[in-house]
Amino acid sequence: MATLEDSFLADLDELSDNEAELDENDGDVGKEEEDVDMDMADLETLNYDDLDSVSKLQKSQRYADIMQKVEEALRKDLDGSEKGTVLEDDPEYKLIVDCNQLSVDIENEIVIVHNFIKDKYKLKFQELESLVNHPIDYARVVKKIGNETDLTLVDLADLLPSAIIMVISVTASTTKGSSLPEDVLQKVLEACDRALDLDSARKKVLEFVESKMGSIAPNLSTIVGSAVAAKLMGTAGGLSALAKMPACNVQVLGLKRKNLAGFSSATSQSRVGYLEQTEIFQSTPPGLRARASRLVAAKSTLAARVDATRGDPTGTSGKAFREEIRKKIEKWQEPPPARQPKPLPVPDSEPKKRRGGRRLRKMKERYAVTDMRKLANRMAFGTPEESSLGDGLGEGYGMLGQAGSNRLRVSSVPSKLKINAKVAKKLKERQYAGGATTSGLTSSLAFTPVQGIELCNPQQALGLGSGTQSTYFSESGTFSKLKKI
Amino acid sequence: MSYLLKTLTKKEEIDRIIRDTIDKVLVLRFGRCSDDVCLQHDEILAKSVRDVSKFAKVALVDVDSEEVQVYVKYFDISLFPSTIFFFNAHHMKLDSGTADHTKWVGAFHIKQDFIDVVEAIYRGAMKGKLIVQCPIPPERIPKYQLLYKDV
Repeated sequence: MATLEDSFLADLDELSDNEAELDENDGDVGKEEEDVDMDMADLETLNYDDLDSVSKLQKSQRYADIMQKVEEALRKDLDGSEKGTVLEDDPEYKLIVDCNQLSVDIENEIVIVHNFIKDKYKLKFQELESLVNHPIDYARVVKKIGNETDLTLVDLADLLPSAIIMVISVTASTTKGSSLPEDVLQKVLEACDRALDLDSARKKVLEFVESKMGSIAPNLSTIVGSAVAAKLMGTAGGLSALAKMPACNVQVLGLKRKNLAGFSSATSQSRVGYLEQTEIFQSTPPGLRARASRLVAAKSTLAARVDATRGDPTGTSGKAFREEIRKKIEKWQEPPPARQPKPLPVPDSEPKKRRGGRRLRKMKERYAVTDMRKLANRMAFGTPEESSLGDGLGEGYGMLGQAGSNRLRVSSVPSKLKINAKVAKKLKERQYAGGATTSGLTSSLAFTPVQGIELCNPQQALGLGSGTQSTYFSESGTFSKLKKI
Repeated sequence: MSYLLKTLTKKEEIDRIIRDTIDKVLVLRFGRCSDDVCLQHDEILAKSVRDVSKFAKVALVDVDSEEVQVYVKYFDISLFPSTIFFFNAHHMKLDSGTADHTKWVGAFHIKQDFIDVVEAIYRGAMKGKLIVQCPIPPERIPKYQLLYKDV
């Protein structure tokens, strides 16, 4: 689409006295793409009162040639077309390609003329441009209204829907524009005529292309329709070029890159080009459109390949593809099958699924046997183990607190567990006996080898130790029991 | 009468079905389709036949036909509906706290009760037992009086 800058470019060309106008129009397309960042400051210096300085296409030679050929071809449409020659050499094929290009150019030209009309008519009726958006409709309305101030005398019924006519009448009564001078009015009307001419030319060209598309690419036209097929071919640069493209490229041919200008790009991700205008695509529900676009692109690529090699001139494979697409889209829209209630499983036939994993391991850790308990369970061979209440009573400590295991210590916190009667009695006696007097045979010293003091307990050397000591010469035993006086 | 469940009227049919049900509990209901308790019972059976279909088979026996009277006499069926359970052609007994362990007399209150009973019978039978305990609480077990004649 041409921008305002391109019209200014055209004026620049005129100012620089470059009279090679005819050649320019062929290079128009190239130039339009190059000069996107034209300086807007040139606006004041340019004077584009003249329509011809803005819109040159209609006067160009190329345009005239192609239009003449098209009209001739349309007139002799009734004759059968020759299919003997290879597609590319067929002069009609060349004409089609040219027509495609021309239709794009005409579209751009219409936009330029529309801008011209808008600018001139602003003096009279500024709000009209925002009320009537479409360029051709705008041109028609301007032509009808002309210089009229009272809109009730103007009949717009066949041009616009009545709601818009009402809005226009209301706005016209309050507009602050004034009547145009005669020469400006003339220019405006001329521009409107030009726009309408261009539009009709474009329609003619498209009509011609569509009529020929059925003979050039029958299968493709069956699937996507002749208009879209013509556009695809035009953008691809020929039927064989279209056939060589992978389907993913065909899907995005003609994609209009929208300028987001700060808006989020998350919502509009269409990725469909000309195929968006096909009947199939328009009739699918929005949820399935992404899948449908891929499907249509794939099948249309296949059809284009068939057409490029002239494999099926009758168009039956195109019909088959179309039917396939229709069936697939219908299948996607089927509701899922209703759920049958499942019968109960046979009792005890399925073994219990034991689950594993990190979560279970962490849970089991809470009840696992701790290292402390493992050491306490283990006992050294040959040495009696220490116990919480001493003397074999209470809980045994095993390897806990022994020489080698310097990490784990035995805590001196007394156990809160209940002690049974026999053990309690023994404890009590020992407590009393130990408090007042001590038997001469007990030793309260205990040295560990770690400390390095070599005091050997004479009982241990003899093999008696504290265990035997307690039982043979126990202070709670009956024989050597001492009574308190 | 439930249209989902098969109704048996002949002796050969009953024989055949008892013989041919392998590794599944066979539930035979003896009763009349006109009786309203029978209808309620049949409704429960029909609703649960699909759920237990993997380990049980349900059939109705119409007690009004002549060939079936042999079985009525053999199983000593006097109250309708009576349900008898078989597993691999063995008659399974069910201790539900009532006087007669060989059959279940009356209708089930809820569908889940029936499924529980069938499951209990299946588990017991797979372990090799011939009599199983009824898993239903006594409130939901229909009570009846047996009249002993000439005993």
